[in-house]
Amino acid sequence: MKARVSFQNLAMPLALIGIGAFFALQEPAFLGSRNLTQLIVEFSIIGTLALGMFMILLTGQIDLSVGSGVGLVGGIAAVLVFQQGWPAPAALLAAFAAAVILWTLMGTLVVRQRIPSFIITLGGLLIFKGLFWLVIQNSTIPVSRGDQDNLYSLLTTYYLPGSIGRALAVGIIAALGVLAWRSRAARRAHGLPVRPAGRESARWVALVVGVIGLVEVCNQFRGVPLTLLILAATAGAVYFLTRHTPFGRYLYAIGGNEEAAALSGIPVNRVLIGAYLLMGIAVALTGFMTTAYSGSSTTTVGDLMELDAIAACVIGGTALRGGRGSVGGVIFGALIMTALLNGMTLLAVSPEIKFIARGGVLTLAVWMDVKLRK
Amino acid sequence: MSADPQSAIGNRPSEILSAHALTKRFPGVVALSGVAFDLRAGEIHALCGENGAGKSTLIKLLAGIHPHGSYEGELRVEGRPVAFQSIRDAEAAGIAVITQEFALIDELSVAENIFLGRAPRRGWRVDWLEMHRRAAALLADFGLSIPPEVPVRTLGIGQKQLIEIVRAMDKHSRVLVLDEPTAALTGQEVVVLLDHLRRLRAQGTACIYISHKLDEVFALADRITVLRDGASIVTLDRASATVGAVIKHMVGREITDLFPKRWSALSPTRFQDERTPSSQRLEDKPLHLEPLLAVHALNVARAHGEPPFLRDLSFEVRPGEVLGFGGLMGAGRTELLMHLFGAWGRRTGGTVLVRGAAYDDASPRTSITRGLVLATEDRRRYGLVLPQSIGFNLSLSSLAQFTRPPARLDQPAEHRRNQQLFDALRIKAPDQDARAGGLSGGNQQKVVLGKALMTEPAVVMLDEPTRGIDVGAKLEVYELVNQLTRDGRAVILVSSELPELMGMSDRIIMLSHGRIGGEFTRGEFSPEKLLAAAMGRREAA
Repeated sequence: MKARVSFQNLAMPLALIGIGAFFALQEPAFLGSRNLTQLIVEFSIIGTLALGMFMILLTGQIDLSVGSGVGLVGGIAAVLVFQQGWPAPAALLAAFAAAVILWTLMGTLVVRQRIPSFIITLGGLLIFKGLFWLVIQNSTIPVSRGDQDNLYSLLTTYYLPGSIGRALAVGIIAALGVLAWRSRAARRAHGLPVRPAGRESARWVALVVGVIGLVEVCNQFRGVPLTLLILAATAGAVYFLTRHTPFGRYLYAIGGNEEAAALSGIPVNRVLIGAYLLMGIAVALTGFMTTAYSGSSTTTVGDLMELDAIAACVIGGTALRGGRGSVGGVIFGALIMTALLNGMTLLAVSPEIKFIARGGVLTLAVWMDVKLRK
Repeated sequence: MSADPQSAIGNRPSEILSAHALTKRFPGVVALSGVAFDLRAGEIHALCGENGAGKSTLIKLLAGIHPHGSYEGELRVEGRPVAFQSIRDAEAAGIAVITQEFALIDELSVAENIFLGRAPRRGWRVDWLEMHRRAAALLADFGLSIPPEVPVRTLGIGQKQLIEIVRAMDKHSRVLVLDEPTAALTGQEVVVLLDHLRRLRAQGTACIYISHKLDEVFALADRITVLRDGASIVTLDRASATVGAVIKHMVGREITDLFPKRWSALSPTRFQDERTPSSQRLEDKPLHLEPLLAVHALNVARAHGEPPFLRDLSFEVRPGEVLGFGGLMGAGRTELLMHLFGAWGRRTGGTVLVRGAAYDDASPRTSITRGLVLATEDRRRYGLVLPQSIGFNLSLSSLAQFTRPPARLDQPAEHRRNQQLFDALRIKAPDQDARAGGLSGGNQQKVVLGKALMTEPAVVMLDEPTRGIDVGAKLEVYELVNQLTRDGRAVILVSSELPELMGMSDRIIMLSHGRIGGEFTRGEFSPEKLLAAAMGRREAA
């Protein structure tokens, strides 16, 4: 078990390096700062959705409706801005509220009617798709009026100025450092084991190099994209929720053994509805970003994104049967999925082959999940 | 069959099945030790014994569920040693086992179930006409008026039981093994079943009949073998046996000194009873302690609209007291605990008071906040999140204690509390980060108990707390129970082992078919009385 996990820990970075090397050899522009920045935006979009999916999968449930939901929520905001002339913040807020309500409802249906989430969300997939097309009337709705920038369009076109990006990087590293130091001190004070100093330092060197390097790569193009901040905030929130709150414990417990969880006094129903509510938030954020990224709401926005999100989670070691997975793994999985999709687009791989490759990766990831179970 | 010359050597010619010195070990437990048993053609041979005496294990050996090589000793069919590797092998030898869980597929028809896996064919197609014709003939043979086309789900439990028997007979089984066949049957269905078994006996089929109901055993069996603690104690001829003798053999063990002397809220008073004047006695009686749990005239049904399964239950538990619940399999003990905890059934009447306050809309969560906690019987299914660590499981019910506003878990504090229990319970594992799924039964039980204790309960309900764990771990559990009562908590103990029940309880209530079959205080305990109350002797009912 232990050996397998460490193999998996190594396998993911290796796979990522392999994928990067392959595309870089085929097309050197893959590692150019322009493409890397684009890749980061796409990564933020898939990563945010995958983090929402992660909490659903932890409980052993699934959500197939998020792809259509992403389109629908982005479409609602676009219609409010472009056709109704709402200010962008109000439109985004309204669409956000709609997403939260829809997902809470769906979670309630799953829990109260005891209908398998696979079926409920499969229904959601079709219903949201239909609603989406109704909302945008099968047309293309830009996210802003007359090419004026607004909060909506800026979501994926705003880049932090270089110096602010650097300052933010330093600030984040410092904040993480303080948190880590305090938790280390608290564990010591309670007489609990802490990581050996050597390994702890190595982690921090890797983190500092990674964050600074990321900012510098972005700065070579136009700066750190706003979407990366959204992803970072989401990841931080999900990490805190899953690792440092009772809610997170309950997600793992329900996925590990739902009956035992219920008999341990865990409010299983409330936790499940909560997970779907949070999924709604992730869908809204993803919907805004991906619609803004394509510039307008069209009928294909969000297509098959549920599968990318599930694949990212499973590649990252999240068990489809629930109870196992980590935020770090999901982030890595999302990075691998994004690198694949971005690289294939860059190489102008035909859509047919892209479908096959996506399906192949998903199947491979699930197969590995099953193997790991044994 | 008796023409076979081999069978005459060293065996009575009529002996169809025999077991010699069967010993079956599980990790930490010896389930069977040196069991000898024989079955003659055309007899009904009853197996009797308390829960855990080894009856089920013996059947699993006969049925090939525990394959040859996983046990010691020898099984012979018609005098020849056999080595069953699977159920299929046992069936081929003519042994059919019908367990309490039916092996019928509800959505398929009666005929399809009878011919499951061996449907008559015409070429590569199923010959439906032939199947229905043969099924109808078989059913008619049995005097059953069930149309072969109806789905099995539409049948009652008694009819399903008979379908199983029909299927076994069509496989030309010579030995029919029935495990508690009447547990779920109504009186009329029992009569029908017993008639069928007598008819099969007359046709030469041998039958092993396992039942807790001694009146059935005596109405049906030719011989009776009693198992106790995994050993075959005695085989009696029905004609010369009495119910009392069988019960005596079932329980007849010395109650060893396994049970630590325990302090009890009741014992000092009982001691005083003999010498203090009655005027003072009222003051001293522990009854002045308010009951922590009081149940009055409780009726509970399995589900809405069904007749009550638990009927008219009334009892109280006071601080420092151990109330034992005994009874046979299916008497409703686990259901009672699960219902009080808020995880089973639908209350159709009666009241439950926890620490004097009415407790109606029970759920596990509110039970825990009210101070009522359950350590479940099925540890792996209901007790533990197996893939997670020991610490994760220990604190799972008590996370509120470690939650700081707004919702942050104080993990160092949690870890420290886990460590206290980990040490106090002497859980054998490298540390509290070890996976719960990798622990032995006894250590898993300790984790389940630790999880319950961390909630700081007033009433601790223990369902078979020592099932499947070794003697050392048992003793630790008993000491823990004593510790709980010393702290002024109340313990409700459900156990199938009479010695354990008698050794640990201040009072014992025996449940029988969902009702109270008898209530006993410490001085009145005797295995015979308890068992008789549990069987709720049909004649008396």
